[in-house]
Amino acid sequence: MVEPSYPESAHDYSSDAEEFERLEDSLGEAPRGALVVSAIAVGLLLVGWLGLYFLVFLPRGSVG
Amino acid sequence: MAINEEAILKSELRWAMVVGGIVAVILIAILYAALAMHINPPSNREYVDPKTLHLSAEFTEANLGTRVDPNGQIVARVIATQFEFVPNCIVLPAERDVTLRFTSPDVIHGILISGTNVNTMIVPGYVAQVHSRFTKTGDLLMPCHEFCGLGHSQMLATVRVVPAEAFRPGPDGRIACGDRR
Repeated sequence: MVEPSYPESAHDYSSDAEEFERLEDSLGEAPRGALVVSAIAVGLLLVGWLGLYFLVFLPRGSVG
Repeated sequence: MAINEEAILKSELRWAMVVGGIVAVILIAILYAALAMHINPPSNREYVDPKTLHLSAEFTEANLGTRVDPNGQIVARVIATQFEFVPNCIVLPAERDVTLRFTSPDVIHGILISGTNVNTMIVPGYVAQVHSRFTKTGDLLMPCHEFCGLGHSQMLATVRVVPAEAFRPGPDGRIACGDRR
């Protein structure tokens, strides 16, 4: 079994400073994943909107 | 945490720019449709007395349906009432500008014509007017899309779009679905 590379609990950190540094690293990584998820969600929404607009709405012709 | 806050602020600004760009693209697309393709929400405001429609100059029974005015304008007049359209079939030409005029003597109705952008509410006391140009021929369904009572689901009409050369109104300028000319 592969040993986990992270400590089992916060108490295993040698100091508060190390814990703080690790926490900062983790928080620094987090937005990247959030950005990817939101970029996919917004991208799909935009593609869907543009698809309906140009492929369905505009070909249906003028109205007013 | 000062460095992270800066990074977060940067990513938020980037997102704001992306969202601003998306909103701009959508606004440009809507403006393009409105200005270049004349696709706008119908916005006619015209009053009519719903109690005396049958006595009015325009919406008497004999005047309903499609008519080509002397100036060449093609106008279809339809009354939406619980639970039918009068007439329940109208003939219109493809590739010609047409005007549809609706009103109601009783409750609020609404129509859409399948496969087109024609879509409006029909409110008693007002004339709902829609200008359009049909590109495809065939029988299109025109159901009531505003719940108007127990018979709402039975309330639908047909819009028969015929090729421009097959659109031959009579000497009085009228044409109806049953006509064979």
